[in-house]
Amino acid sequence: MSQLLKNNKKLIYPGFLWFLFFFIFPLTVILVYAFIDNFLRSGTDVNFTFDNFLIIFQRKHYLLLLGRSIRISLITTFFSIAFAYPIAYFLAKKTKYDKILIVALMIPFWVNYLIRTFAWKLIISENGIINKILTSLNIIDEPLRILYTEFAVILGLIYTHTPMMILPLYATISRIDNSLLEAALDLGASKSRAFFDIILRLSLTGIFAGTVLVFIPVLGSFAIPAILGGTDSMMIGNIIESQFIEVGNWNFGSAFTLTLALISLAMIFIYSKFFGLQSIYKNQEI
Amino acid sequence: MEKRKPVFLQIYTLLFFIYIFLPIIIIFIFAWNNNEGYNFPLSGFTWKWFTELFNDSIAKKAMLNSILIAFISATISTILGTALAFGILNSSLKNKGLFLGLLILPVLMPSLTIGIAVLVFFRTLSIPLGIPSVILSHVSISMSYVVLILLGRIEGFSGNIQEAAVDLGASWFSSIKDIILPVLMPAMLAGWVFSFMISWNEFIVTYFLIGNNVTIPVYIFSQLRFGISPKVNVISVLVTSFTVIMVILYILIKASLSRIKNAKLLKS
Repeated sequence: MSQLLKNNKKLIYPGFLWFLFFFIFPLTVILVYAFIDNFLRSGTDVNFTFDNFLIIFQRKHYLLLLGRSIRISLITTFFSIAFAYPIAYFLAKKTKYDKILIVALMIPFWVNYLIRTFAWKLIISENGIINKILTSLNIIDEPLRILYTEFAVILGLIYTHTPMMILPLYATISRIDNSLLEAALDLGASKSRAFFDIILRLSLTGIFAGTVLVFIPVLGSFAIPAILGGTDSMMIGNIIESQFIEVGNWNFGSAFTLTLALISLAMIFIYSKFFGLQSIYKNQEI
Repeated sequence: MEKRKPVFLQIYTLLFFIYIFLPIIIIFIFAWNNNEGYNFPLSGFTWKWFTELFNDSIAKKAMLNSILIAFISATISTILGTALAFGILNSSLKNKGLFLGLLILPVLMPSLTIGIAVLVFFRTLSIPLGIPSVILSHVSISMSYVVLILLGRIEGFSGNIQEAAVDLGASWFSSIKDIILPVLMPAMLAGWVFSFMISWNEFIVTYFLIGNNVTIPVYIFSQLRFGISPKVNVISVLVTSFTVIMVILYILIKASLSRIKNAKLLKS
């Protein structure tokens, strides 16, 4: 029988080699570039250095950028939890049409996020829909400047990422046994006490899974700030892009990319230590 | 438990649905609006943006490239991903958990890091950018999703049927071809549609690896950066309609999968 298992094991190789060549090796090359001062195979001397990282942490401009990116990601994650939680709770506990409503929610999620970001550009631009409505109602005289601000970036990020928060929340809340809540109420807990001590506490796994699923891609986003943001609302992704596309400083760009990768990996690692990685993908309902 | 209707939650859910759908509806409306400015009141119905889009050779190229890339990546990643998932679960492999954890990293890591890393890797090895490079990278991402989709299906049936077939004299190859593949086929179809969608929507990795070629998301992005025209609305309408059809297809396949599962449970 072990021959059978050995043969089955061979099925792993093609996919794993592909994964090795086009995922693991490229990340390793980034790791190398981040710690050297020149192009590999450039013909000139290549030396080991920490300078690429020192620049990030010494220049105020880059520190501000890193701080802003983390701030934007935290705000986005917070609001996507706040927006998604009531929906997830309603779908999990208060309606019998949850399956069909989840499908309805997921359809716009699959619409390309550039298209959905474009829609927000139309809504918030200077002569866009919001400004038109507000001026015609005489609430404001001059159009509000929303587009090309950090606020616009956050608006777009929340809009595009909230659905990713709903799924894990919905999955964990629906698994909570209703009788726990009944017991708490029977024993005299107030409704809010029962909600906080039972529902909220038992859905923490979902909140953390959703946080991983939202915070990481938001921190690495570059298209949404490029479309909705101005020069003072750029994020890490935009600096990385310009290093590779315009400036051509691969070593510094790699150091920034590695920083982003390490923050993400650290979050994934901490999450998997506590909850196990399965809980992320089992909640995704893919 | 609660007799009172959750009115607040119902209203909130309704508002949330409006919030999620309204921007997409607005995109649709302006695809047929006569005026180039994006403003209400609407200024009349027109198909002219559609003809303008179909006369745009770059847009046409983008659509063809997107379909080509998504089709090829989905096919390769379904084959490799299915083999991976089955091989991991039904072999003597140690550290299965670690292996799977590694394999789902492309799902969790920011695509920016993947796009940049592959760009630097290819440039260092002097591999030219373009459609083949995009496919190479898309497969390594969508393969992870295929593995995730297939895992659930493979965990559902034990490797025993394969053992039984081999015990009864089937070759290993025939046990895979005649026993395992037919059982996994519906899940593979789901995996294929899913990875098609991943590849079809993927922007960041494509943007860095496509060179001077173009796909639909890259086309839309360049249009959005430099002034917008209702042509973008039209391509959005086309892409969105196609996407919705694919998502519904995916949901139908998934639904029939769980029906098969339930039928089997009932029988046993």
